[in-house]
Amino acid sequence: MKKFTRTLLSVGTAICLYGAVAQADTIKIGLAGPATGPVAQYGDMQKIGVLAAIEQINKAGGINGMQLEGVIYDDACDPKQAVAVANKIVNDGIQHVVGHLCSSSTEPAADIYEEEGVLMITAASTSPSITEKGHQMIFRTIGLDSMQGPFAGQYVINSVKPKNMAIIHDKQQYGEGLATAVKKEVEAAGIKPVMFEGVTPGDKDFSALIAKLKKNKVDFVYYGGYHPELGLILRQSKEKGLAARFMGPEGVGNPDISKIAGAASEGLLVTLPQSFDKDPANQALVQAIVDKGEDPTGPFVFPAYSAVEVMTAAMTATGSTDTEKLADFIRSNTFKTTTGELAFNEKGDLAQFSFVVYDWHADGTKTPAK
Amino acid sequence: MSETILYLIQQLINGLTIGSTYALIAIGYTMVYGIIGMINFAHGEVYMIGSYITFIVIAGLLGMGMVSLPLILFIALVISVLIASTYGWTIERVAYRPLRGTNRLIPLISAIGMSIFLQNYVVLSQGSRDIALPPMISGSWTFGDPNLFEVSFSYMQLFIWVATFITMLGLTLFISRSRMGRACRACSEDIGMTNLLGVDTNRVIAMTFIIGAALAAIAGLLLSLYYGVVNPFIGFMAGLKAFTAAVLGGIGSIPGAVLGGLILGVTEALTAAYFPSEYKDVVAFGLLILILLFRPSGLLGKPEVEKV
Repeated sequence: MKKFTRTLLSVGTAICLYGAVAQADTIKIGLAGPATGPVAQYGDMQKIGVLAAIEQINKAGGINGMQLEGVIYDDACDPKQAVAVANKIVNDGIQHVVGHLCSSSTEPAADIYEEEGVLMITAASTSPSITEKGHQMIFRTIGLDSMQGPFAGQYVINSVKPKNMAIIHDKQQYGEGLATAVKKEVEAAGIKPVMFEGVTPGDKDFSALIAKLKKNKVDFVYYGGYHPELGLILRQSKEKGLAARFMGPEGVGNPDISKIAGAASEGLLVTLPQSFDKDPANQALVQAIVDKGEDPTGPFVFPAYSAVEVMTAAMTATGSTDTEKLADFIRSNTFKTTTGELAFNEKGDLAQFSFVVYDWHADGTKTPAK
Repeated sequence: MSETILYLIQQLINGLTIGSTYALIAIGYTMVYGIIGMINFAHGEVYMIGSYITFIVIAGLLGMGMVSLPLILFIALVISVLIASTYGWTIERVAYRPLRGTNRLIPLISAIGMSIFLQNYVVLSQGSRDIALPPMISGSWTFGDPNLFEVSFSYMQLFIWVATFITMLGLTLFISRSRMGRACRACSEDIGMTNLLGVDTNRVIAMTFIIGAALAAIAGLLLSLYYGVVNPFIGFMAGLKAFTAAVLGGIGSIPGAVLGGLILGVTEALTAAYFPSEYKDVVAFGLLILILLFRPSGLLGKPEVEKV
């Protein structure tokens, strides 16, 4: 038995050593986001973008003679698991990360990366507080709630002009942050929401909430959160005869909301990053993604793609993979990417990012709202 | 009727609907506890599996072009009850029977392990995303003044009430009239004595798990038709709520589980109605704490007598 254990140990060590040797001529990029759990769709979008970028760059000869390799980690959009994933990434010796996805996961993970000198670019987390702490290693290629909230608020004020507005959120960092930003914006214009309430993520029964919306004669609801809850709210509202229009952020904007809500998703308003997959300059890339049997239309696919572009452009320009050099370079330069010219401010956020309001349809498609 | 009263009626309808399904799941907890004095923490997952089977069967039958709604529901009900009962039986065989007679904590932990296993098994085999069905039973009655507040009572809600009532009636008859039901009652009074009198207690315990699982499958069918969405994580919260309902009513008592479920459902609806709805769970579980502090045996439970 003792002998067997010893053999096992030595084989194990040999495998580890082999792994270390194989790593030498690739640059590993950690890809952290939900691969399981109720919001895994968004993790898929990020994965599609990052892997497409890695493939294109490798085809073009890699970076400084080295090939890129994407390593996928699953945080299930759970802050506790995100911390475990971040520690695992550090232990695995990975220096460059695209992710995480849910703001509530990204924030604790970012603290770990900053401390360990790992470069992180998120393509999807929109909560402002992630970059509020003066981190040097943390960047993002997506707009902020502090941009999206006021944008949605302005649209409500100028185009929707509701009589009785309600704001509902899912009590999470992302959803409540957006809901608060929208509330501030509309209140400044003299629209006083009649309700401002949270729901519990994962809840299935919203009948009491909907009855309350009906009682308050609400004709417009802004929802801060993700699609599983809003999908059910829409579905149950239709069943209970609540005649109100709904609006949500990019967290609700994916075809699954139409699967859940069916016909009730018709006419939902969604603020999304502009559709980079419709940009004529990106058509070859869109085709390459479609050829692999994947969906290029998700809102985070191209921000994730450009996150890799920014990272690798900095590697090429500095001729190094040293994260401090890369971070300095990213902060002081502009990058031409598939999502346009990107420039970063001192905090690591994009200097500007534009959103568009879409009309959602029952078949899961969208058209720009008037 | 004034707006306030109409609104209250609407919230009571909502609360009783959700409460009846809590009651159905709670019975599974309470029966197992009543007989072997243990909490089956994998029970919520049986409910989840029941929901999944309903979905798969309904989607399959719709795909095969079947249009008769009562027939579809009947087939879905039979298959999901059968499969969920098999799961209930297996849980007892794998996670409880080998550990019978050990310290009480050990089967508790193995049940939690079972619950984690089942949840992840469904994640792996069915994916972790929400699966949705189109509304099967739509339409509703409305009454009240449209200018004030219109109460809606959907056919689906009525269906849930009726189905719950019939199930409860069936269970009560089974427990009070049948031979097996008598054996169940005897076991819950004194399992050792029942065994000595020649009743196969292992069979009774297995039967308890099967009945509990069948009721959970019925709740799974009803709720998946009502909400139209399932994912592998619904079992945890539903299980926790039903467990609360069982404790509230007095764990071990079947009428108590029903009463507890209804009280919990109505409390949740009324909390969401008159306070911000994020306080719904706070009040529901706060109620549990109060009951445990002031009436530890629950509303209808018998105070535990130390057996000598």
